[in-house]
Amino acid sequence: MYLYNEFDQTLVNERVEQFRDQTKRFLNGKLTEEQFRPLRLMNGLYIQTHAPMLRVNIPYGLLSSKQLRMFAHIAHKYDKDYGHFTTRQNIQFNWPKLEQVPDILSDLASVQMHAIQSSGNCIRNTTCDPLAGVCADEIVDPRPYCEIIRQWSTLHPEFSYLPRKFKIAVSGSPKDRAATEVHDIGLHVKKDTEGNIGFEVLVGGGLGRTPVIGQTIANFIAEADLLSYLEAILRTYNRFGRRDNKYKARIKILVRETGLDIFKEQVETEWALLRGKKLTLSKQAIERVKDHFNPLSYDNTNDNALEKHLNTSGVFRQWVKQNTTSHKQAGYRIVFLSLKAPNTPPGDVTDLQMNHIADLADTYSFGELRTTHDQNLALTDVKSSDLYALWQQLEKHQLATPNIGTITDMICCPGLDFCSLANASSIDIAQGITDRFKDSAIDTGKISLKMSGCMNGCGHHSIGEIGILGVDKKGEQWYQLTLGGSDSHQSKLGDRLGKAIAKEHVVDAIDDIIHIYKLNRNDGEDFANTLERIGLQPFKDKVYDAH
Amino acid sequence: MTLIKNNSVSGDAWHHHIAEQGLPTNHDIVSLAYWLENKTTLIKSGLILGLLVDGNEDFETIEGELTHFSLIAINFPTFADGRGYSLAKSLREKSNYAHEIRAVGDILPDQALYLTRVGFDALELPTKEHAGLALDKLSEYSVFYQPEIA
Repeated sequence: MYLYNEFDQTLVNERVEQFRDQTKRFLNGKLTEEQFRPLRLMNGLYIQTHAPMLRVNIPYGLLSSKQLRMFAHIAHKYDKDYGHFTTRQNIQFNWPKLEQVPDILSDLASVQMHAIQSSGNCIRNTTCDPLAGVCADEIVDPRPYCEIIRQWSTLHPEFSYLPRKFKIAVSGSPKDRAATEVHDIGLHVKKDTEGNIGFEVLVGGGLGRTPVIGQTIANFIAEADLLSYLEAILRTYNRFGRRDNKYKARIKILVRETGLDIFKEQVETEWALLRGKKLTLSKQAIERVKDHFNPLSYDNTNDNALEKHLNTSGVFRQWVKQNTTSHKQAGYRIVFLSLKAPNTPPGDVTDLQMNHIADLADTYSFGELRTTHDQNLALTDVKSSDLYALWQQLEKHQLATPNIGTITDMICCPGLDFCSLANASSIDIAQGITDRFKDSAIDTGKISLKMSGCMNGCGHHSIGEIGILGVDKKGEQWYQLTLGGSDSHQSKLGDRLGKAIAKEHVVDAIDDIIHIYKLNRNDGEDFANTLERIGLQPFKDKVYDAH
Repeated sequence: MTLIKNNSVSGDAWHHHIAEQGLPTNHDIVSLAYWLENKTTLIKSGLILGLLVDGNEDFETIEGELTHFSLIAINFPTFADGRGYSLAKSLREKSNYAHEIRAVGDILPDQALYLTRVGFDALELPTKEHAGLALDKLSEYSVFYQPEIA
């Protein structure tokens, strides 16, 4: 993985001292709340319902065991012994004290981590396929390019006071595991017919109040031109993006109101002046970063031991089937650690669990792990002969719930319990769904359920095969259901099922939807396919006749 | 008002022209609207002038006027409006504007470094204390990922 050189470390250390001074000036009354706000946000610090919330970047989702142990340390020392993994490869701490945040950032810097631009109207953490470098279908490993973008976007002087936040995601496989089509910029790494590396660039995607699928603005931007092209898009957005209404300030609105063709012309006019100059990436510069992402030293091994283990335990077999997937290297598997155990808010991990996971990463997976878009963790390089021993350990620490990709593996925002924006709670609904489906999740099959506590859409409800959106109706919590969204291959926004549903009926309504699916599904047919075949109406009839 | 020029507190040879108080004199900074209205007269006068524009002003509008001015002042209506950064950078890199580019309006000492990184060489801060702090902030970082301004 990428290791900081002296230059990177100096920058992060200087950032810590800068924020220490800003926090001190705020606490002494030398900075107003309004002036301090963007400064703290650009260091990941929100003021939430109960306490500040600190969001820490995990660049492109890659973590070392040492870094995870630092999260455990921070959770224990400064917070309430847990952290929350988000959909965009961050971890959030929900209870730090403002005056201690500079110390937390200093601890993070000691393991090459930071919270720079994890919030605010600037370029956020660049995310990527959590299976980069290990999945069999990969064209090019996107992580070196993510690191290059991380460096270019960090403390970018021109783009730190944008109209609104700006998110970039990169995928290097035909299967999109990074939700690139719902990002401000989505990049698909590809090769041309001569084998040159470049990027298809999508622009103007996003979730939130106005969910939009990104459109292709360029089919192939050569890798040397990546940064100059990004700079051209960002400058166009910075100049012309709306600043009169924060709900219309994202680039998706600019692209829609300008029209893709004209927007593209504007970008290309900027690019003509930037291209071929200082931002051009040399082969050597790219290679230097790529050297950090060389393939790991895999053993020559096979699945013989695994075959034997599979015959000894049905529960283990179930877990292997549900929570592991194939690796490009023979004899290795990718293992997902479910952060959706019953009785735990989705994405939450305790400090003890984090320490155990760090140990397991050291023992079984080259000391590295990944965070996924679905708020789980992955040990991506496990020998299949080690799976049985690893599974036993994970079971012990409530990390082996065999529900990856099922209805109880839901994406969920923190909701009204923590977030000052939320209209409705989501954690208790998630709990209700888990209770209802925990025994039948595997039988129900592959299904993505995503839930947000307000229309800002942090839980990505609009691209869930089942989406749940919390809304406020005269002080009461109601929930709007959508069906048929998707965030892989061809992203798609879900269709509204009907009018919002009262809180006490939401779990029953989900049950009705699953009932209709099971009643109609053909052998081995996923929820998404059944829905596409039979349409919304049967689901609608069942849910609204009943309630 | 305290001026920082080329990374130190500096005296100010320039004045902001107020249209109601009569014709400009040498080293006055005139607004874009005033300039466009009185362009012919002002060119004839041979005065050394600066131009004040808002950060959201069209680059294309300003571009043609640059040769008449020895200073461009870019106004920040609020510190959160980042358009002035792109405008300054465009003036330096697209138009190769070599004279003073000054940041005026709602700018915070904490923004001083980014402003100088995009091509501002002068900053108008509200007080001496703000200017002192801004100077401290200019040396907060010793390393940058982005290239220097051309």
